Amino acid sequence: MRNLIFLLWFTVCSVYAQSEMSAGDARALEAKVKKTANTTETITSSFRQYKHMDFLSNDIESLGKLSFKAPNLVKWEYTEPFAYSVIFEEETLYINNEGNKSDMDIGSNKLFKRLNQLITNSIKGDLFNTDEFHIDYFKKGNDSEVHFAPKDEDFASFIKAFHITFNGNGEVTEVKMLEPSNDYTRIVFTDRKTNQSLPDAVFAH
Amino acid sequence: MRYLPISLLFLIWACASYPERNNFQSMETSGGSITNPYFSNPKKDYVYKADINLYKKNFSGILILKKLGVQHHRVVFTTELGNTIFDFSFRDGDFRVNHILSEMNKKMVINLLKKDFRTLVTENPSVLNRFASEDRFIFETEMAKWKNYYYTIDRKLEKIVQTKNGKKKVSFIFSSVDAEVAKNIQILHHNIKLSIRLKAI
Repeated sequence: MRNLIFLLWFTVCSVYAQSEMSAGDARALEAKVKKTANTTETITSSFRQYKHMDFLSNDIESLGKLSFKAPNLVKWEYTEPFAYSVIFEEETLYINNEGNKSDMDIGSNKLFKRLNQLITNSIKGDLFNTDEFHIDYFKKGNDSEVHFAPKDEDFASFIKAFHITFNGNGEVTEVKMLEPSNDYTRIVFTDRKTNQSLPDAVFAH
Repeated sequence: MRYLPISLLFLIWACASYPERNNFQSMETSGGSITNPYFSNPKKDYVYKADINLYKKNFSGILILKKLGVQHHRVVFTTELGNTIFDFSFRDGDFRVNHILSEMNKKMVINLLKKDFRTLVTENPSVLNRFASEDRFIFETEMAKWKNYYYTIDRKLEKIVQTKNGKKKVSFIFSSVDAEVAKNIQILHHNIKLSIRLKAI
């Protein structure tokens, strides 16, 4: 009996913790995120990344910094436990791997091109495209969580879904990329600063 | 005619076994097994920053190795962002591809990776012969018709040299060893331009 009550309590809590959003709230969130994205010229943020795989004892953690400049310049930089940065610029990835610089033309690689676009868009949160995704909206306390599942089968075999958490201002606070195996990468953003001047030197390669 | 003895000498050398080429001294004792302790703790997640150089191309990512049971290891390679490139299981002599990026899903690539990682995670191969060379003991083992030579110094596994027809094909070099964790590992192919460098993180 006690177990049953516990189970019931747990179920109620789970439902409370993440409940489906009404259509009206979903439209309002989408509008807010798009507005925020459209008025965002630059973003800098720290992030902590957790790579979760069921068979591991612990998640693999790494730390880094993100820099974004509209319309589509992104620098993704890991500082701990290794030094690695990648600049996404149109059809090229500029990589700095512990001082060794290289670039990769991803124009011919559909998968990486797509991933690049999605990462750029997910930083702003703007993935609201029903041609490309099945979209589900949830409330999580004061935050919102939106699940984007790619419709393209090839891409879905690489990433099953993006779960993006937005704060009350429509800013992205967390991105979770789920793989078909249900293993995932969770990226939590902190110290986010928007529309501060960001010198071009940040994106020099 | 003058060249014949030289040619003959070369032919003999070309047919020589790896221990003969390297002037190893044979030791009488045989049998038993040699232990590769570097991926043997099931409580530990072995996580490495990996740099792969294939011809002039450079790929990097994270290599994760985990012992899941007796003769059971999982080997996963992901991008820095965490997207899985390949995911293999080695269990009781069986090999399974759990996942591989479609672009890499080629038999030749898989076989190459399978052989390298099987060598890396095999824990207690049977010893066929033992040798000595300077201050090292060398243990000869066999894996799928390839002879592997395990070099130890002060009872620590220093490197594995994989050979075919007496010729060195791949070297696995373990360095900066601390508490049975090799902080640096190099996998160097001698017949193709492929090298994998692993740094523990």
